Amino acid sequence: MATTEFENLTFSLSLFDAMQKDNLSYIYRGFFNQQITDSILSLTEVNLQTEEQSSKMKKRVYAIMVEGLQNITRHQHDTASKSIQSTHGLFIIKRSEDKYYITTGNATEKSSIPIITGLIEKINSLDKDELKSYYKQVLNEGELSDKGGAGLGLIDMARKSGNKLSYRFIDINENDTYFYLHTIPTLKDLSADFNKVAKESLDNIVEIHNTLNKEDIRLIYNGVMNQESLKGLLQTIEGHLSDSADQKNKMFYIVMEMLQNIVKHASNPNNEEGGNPGIFFISENNGKHLLTAGNYMKNEHVKELNDKIEYVNNLSDKEMEDYYNHSLFDFEIDDSKKAGLGIIDLRLKSGNTISHFLKKIDNNYTFFSLQIQI
Amino acid sequence: MEKLIIEKTNDTPNVILDYDSGKIEISERSLPENAIDFYSPIIDWFDKYLQNPKKETIVDIKLEYFNTSSAKQIAKILLILQKLAINNKVLIKWYYSANDSDMHSSGIRYSKLVKVDFEFIEIP
Repeated sequence: MATTEFENLTFSLSLFDAMQKDNLSYIYRGFFNQQITDSILSLTEVNLQTEEQSSKMKKRVYAIMVEGLQNITRHQHDTASKSIQSTHGLFIIKRSEDKYYITTGNATEKSSIPIITGLIEKINSLDKDELKSYYKQVLNEGELSDKGGAGLGLIDMARKSGNKLSYRFIDINENDTYFYLHTIPTLKDLSADFNKVAKESLDNIVEIHNTLNKEDIRLIYNGVMNQESLKGLLQTIEGHLSDSADQKNKMFYIVMEMLQNIVKHASNPNNEEGGNPGIFFISENNGKHLLTAGNYMKNEHVKELNDKIEYVNNLSDKEMEDYYNHSLFDFEIDDSKKAGLGIIDLRLKSGNTISHFLKKIDNNYTFFSLQIQI
Repeated sequence: MEKLIIEKTNDTPNVILDYDSGKIEISERSLPENAIDFYSPIIDWFDKYLQNPKKETIVDIKLEYFNTSSAKQIAKILLILQKLAINNKVLIKWYYSANDSDMHSSGIRYSKLVKVDFEFIEIP
């Protein structure tokens, strides 16, 4: 059997470049509910914990995320339109150097543009103390929207960010527009070029969002892989997929194995704290899910892994069963670094061959990416 | 014989190994990072049980998910039970959710690989 071709390879490679630059990025695009929100928060918390940031900053990032996620959950059905863009909320957190960039997005009717713009402009015109009293004023007057106080949420986000809120509307169709809210929390006073930085990073987000829509990417995680982040990602999968329960179970198994491979076997070239660096993303293609994971590995193990994948891909169904059953009761390889049962399980459970690609980084390390279609 | 109770977490199963009441059950999820460590006291318990077993042994396996490294540890337990089944009555009750065909086929796989009686019970 021929090896399945690796899909969105260009995209995987660009993610890989991002992985080298950014310490963390997490993107979720789709329907938001409590479980999704919780999973995003716990995943990010794992990464916040392992980073050398002041606890004040961490708390701020966390608070902004909570407000932002609540905003999407509340407003994701603000338009009646059923277009892909209109029905998919967006959450992106990125950490590059020492800055966090938090973006939320949802579709809304064009008629609400003046209201939202007015509110954000008002908030942006106030200084720290004025914001504080405006917050109290809105709270006391109960000037809550019928959805339960999004105005307060925005004020709170502005206060926590210590900066102006950036936003943008991009038209979807004649009735609807996509609303992006972009926050860059900082502790120090904002520098003179803040507006420029914010504009550029928001441009970049809009561009990423276009790619996400085009490739139908539902989730991207780039950060440390450990048992905690694995659990967070699995929780997202449980909350998100509207497929049949059987399909969901399959997805859960396969993602679990793919990520546990990274937790256990990947290399950590820069000795990052908390776990091995890795990326993972889910895209959809004609009703099929494409699961892609990537990590670093030592060059000396590349050939062995390559051979193993080729071997597993070329087995007949009967041979695969026999090989699996043999490995299941072979306790000798328990402690070895060999990916035995895991790889064959991926093929068995997915019912497809495994695609992979390798890219040599330097004399020590190779970037390895694995893709499974279900 | 001392009982071994391990409370479930979101990545490790609920384990009840109670000689006196005869309740032997592993349930919920098993995806520990280190399955060998997690299962080692469980396997020790079964080894001890083998030395002084009850006339009839029923083992309830009600797992929702398990990872491949847990699969091997379950295989180890089943091998102990296979030894026990030579001279004793042993039944493994393998529970699976109606909408989880993978869990069902995992059970069938084990039942073909070890000489122990299995009963398959679908949870609606």
